[in-house]
Amino acid sequence: MDEEDQTKLIDLVKELVNRLLAESPQQQNPKNPNFEASLRYAVRILSSRLTPSIAPDAAAIAESIKRRLATQGRSSDALTFSDLFTKFSAKTGTGSVNNKWAVVYLLKIISDDRKSSKNAVNSSNLLPNFGLDGHGFSNGSNVSNGKENKELGWRNNGVLMVSKDPENLREIAFKEFVNVVKEENEVSEEVIVRDVLYCCQGIDGRYVKFDASVDGYVLLHSVKVPRATRIMVRKLCELGWLFRKVKGYVSESMDRFPAEDVGTVGQAFCAALQDELLEYYKLLAVLEAQAMNPIPLVSESANAGNYLSLRRLSVWFAEPMVKMRLMAVLVDKCRVLRGGAMAGAIHLHAQHGDVLVHEFMTRLLKRVCSPLFEMVRSWVLEGELEDIFAEFFVVGQPVKAESLWREGYRLHSGMLPSFISQSLAQRILRTGKSINFLRVCCDDRGWADAATESAAAAGTTTRRGGLGYGETDALESLVIEAAKRIDKHLLDVIYKRYKFKEHCLAIKRYLLLGQGDFVQYLMDIVGPELSEPANTISSFKLAGLLESAIRSSNAQYDDPDILDRLRVKLMPHGTGDRGWDVFSLDYDARVPLDTLFTESVMARYLKIFNFLWKLRRVEHALIGAWKTMKPNCITSHLFTKLQHAVKLQLLSTLRRCQVLWDEMNHFVTNLQYYIMFEVLEVSWSNFSNEMEVAKDLDDLLAAHEKYLYSIFEKSLLGERSQSLYKSLFLLFDLILQFRSHADRLYEGIFELQSRTMESSLSSRDKSKSRRQTKDKSSEPGSWLSDGRKALTQRAGEFLRNMEQELDAIAKEYKSLLEGFLAQLPVQQHVDLKFLLFRLDFTEFYSQLRPNV
Amino acid sequence: MDPEAARSARESLDLAFHMSNILDTGLDRHTLSVLIALCDLDLNPEALAAVVKELRREPSPSSTMPTAPP
Repeated sequence: MDEEDQTKLIDLVKELVNRLLAESPQQQNPKNPNFEASLRYAVRILSSRLTPSIAPDAAAIAESIKRRLATQGRSSDALTFSDLFTKFSAKTGTGSVNNKWAVVYLLKIISDDRKSSKNAVNSSNLLPNFGLDGHGFSNGSNVSNGKENKELGWRNNGVLMVSKDPENLREIAFKEFVNVVKEENEVSEEVIVRDVLYCCQGIDGRYVKFDASVDGYVLLHSVKVPRATRIMVRKLCELGWLFRKVKGYVSESMDRFPAEDVGTVGQAFCAALQDELLEYYKLLAVLEAQAMNPIPLVSESANAGNYLSLRRLSVWFAEPMVKMRLMAVLVDKCRVLRGGAMAGAIHLHAQHGDVLVHEFMTRLLKRVCSPLFEMVRSWVLEGELEDIFAEFFVVGQPVKAESLWREGYRLHSGMLPSFISQSLAQRILRTGKSINFLRVCCDDRGWADAATESAAAAGTTTRRGGLGYGETDALESLVIEAAKRIDKHLLDVIYKRYKFKEHCLAIKRYLLLGQGDFVQYLMDIVGPELSEPANTISSFKLAGLLESAIRSSNAQYDDPDILDRLRVKLMPHGTGDRGWDVFSLDYDARVPLDTLFTESVMARYLKIFNFLWKLRRVEHALIGAWKTMKPNCITSHLFTKLQHAVKLQLLSTLRRCQVLWDEMNHFVTNLQYYIMFEVLEVSWSNFSNEMEVAKDLDDLLAAHEKYLYSIFEKSLLGERSQSLYKSLFLLFDLILQFRSHADRLYEGIFELQSRTMESSLSSRDKSKSRRQTKDKSSEPGSWLSDGRKALTQRAGEFLRNMEQELDAIAKEYKSLLEGFLAQLPVQQHVDLKFLLFRLDFTEFYSQLRPNV
Repeated sequence: MDPEAARSARESLDLAFHMSNILDTGLDRHTLSVLIALCDLDLNPEALAAVVKELRREPSPSSTMPTAPP
């Protein structure tokens, strides 16, 4: 400052003091003795504060004034003020005010001071007015000790008057503190605050920079600040570190998006994160704007810092910090996750007691889950799998039509978010599957109506994007409505259009031999053919025979569509197999019913058919044997002509044969009764009931499966009754063997009889007979008879042989049957007990073997 | 001082006075002009404000006196 300025300054100060003193009414006189003192005082004040405490920024001060006016409700004043200020700051050039910000700042401080002093005056009736109460200021020596004065103030008024502290002890102390702070801090707090704000946007500040070695933002070591500040900066800048992380993830995902499959859920997550970041940016912007405004203080200590201190900042940052931490955690968790798994992982974090966290997570999840819910919606209502990034918990596979239902779609448990329960997921899966099944296999369009109807029934929540996280109830009701209707429609189509029930019945009648007359005819017709070796049989011929069996039985009145599907099937055969071993009937279930009658199901049907067919064949054989065995004139006639010994032998052989037949017949009849009535009919009746109540295709499949399983188990075809099944087949073979023996026996008897006739004839007409026997004798093994004696001898021998063979068969049969009966009670299945009961009704067998 | 500069100075003073009135500082025009001149001399506005406050608030001159250092 040069000399001229100095004098000018003194003059101006004098003038100012003069003016100010002149304002007071008592101070008219410039010669006032107080003038000198006041002037000195003013100079002292002016020289004590050489630099302003805030950065020179006229616009910020004006803004702060304007805002205050506005908050005081003087908005018109605020407008006028800003208008004036614009004009004022526009004045440049000579004559205008150079130090504009100082002027504005000055006005502001004066205004503030005046306001606070006014308040003080207003409350002067409450507060003691030090100036008027006459104590201790007129005689300065008395009160030179500030402490005493203060104590006096305490004593007198009970109120500590800080502002009136006569020696400005507090103010002096405060100034000292400020000086200490200034000495300690190389950089002022507001600079650091600004840097921290920068860091929180991921930008390096002037003093606070990102340090890769400690992985965080730190105050430069070269800057001299107290340790506390350093720690605080470090803490505040955690937000910046978190922000970098989140921001990095978002931009990384966005960059990856076109090239790699981030997935729609991932994109939604990024979008939600970005929205949250936007909120955060807003906050930072506000903070930055506020940073320049001084704190409105009541105290007149002019060193009111800027509004934002590090401490205030830490309060401001508390909430964003929590959010940002959550986001960072999510970002870490979700880096490798996609789709439903990502939503599930976020959902796990939403289970939080803190309301703030919970709300935040819910908001985020709503966004994240919206693509998922959209997928569910279109899957359930339209059967569309809009899932190009494989994020949905339903996964589709390209399969053939018949395995579409079973293998076409499955749940991907990894993608199933935990807020969708397993049962709901199953239902969702099935509903969409039903739609696809209807569309692909059943060639049906009616499901669209059902879907629209269910959408209407579930309410307005089904519009596109209408479902959201947290509305699991709405989702559930939509799925339930849709599932109910679609399933019903599907079953309708299966029952009515594709006549599932009729086909089941047809299978039962033809494959399970329920249609008795048809089976009888078939057995009669194909019997001779099937006795041939398997490799000589033509399936075309058998098909023709099947056709004629159908035409000659009641089956001809059946639906031609069903009869068309019935075919002959020859199993692969080995050497030595007879036709009986390879023959079976097949039923051609076409799309869509092949979903129900799959190959494995049909294989089981065939197995059952083979068993029943064998049983029938045995029964048929026994009946055939009976036809020859039944007492008739031929046999009775024979008796009369025979010698006594041979006659007895014949009788005993015949009797043995009859008894054995009876025993076998008892077994076969009861077994057949058991299979036909207690197994097939009962299972069928259960199946029919379950078909009625079945709500969806899975139920139907399960019912059908159960039906087959129960037949399988009860007819000894199951795994557990393998040994029983084997011994049963041995029994069957033995019975067939018996049949051939019986046939031979009766053949022999008939021949014997014819010989007897012949010999009786020959006795009458010997010459003729002799010539005939001569011819016969040339044949080896024939019933050569030269006379009655030889004949009798031959007959006795034959009968003895037969009796022995029958004995052997009977013995083997007995042991086999005993083995079978012994095994029967060991079986798990309760129904087999009834079979045993039936076979052993008179307790004949159990008495034979008392140990059982 | 040329008339242009004088006019500009007067207008600036007018504007400042207006603002001062809005802010209810209670300063008259003359005092304000003195203060602006002082500001232009790079005096600390905070100190100036303190002077204004100290000198004006005391209704009786004597009240400021004891605060003067001995």
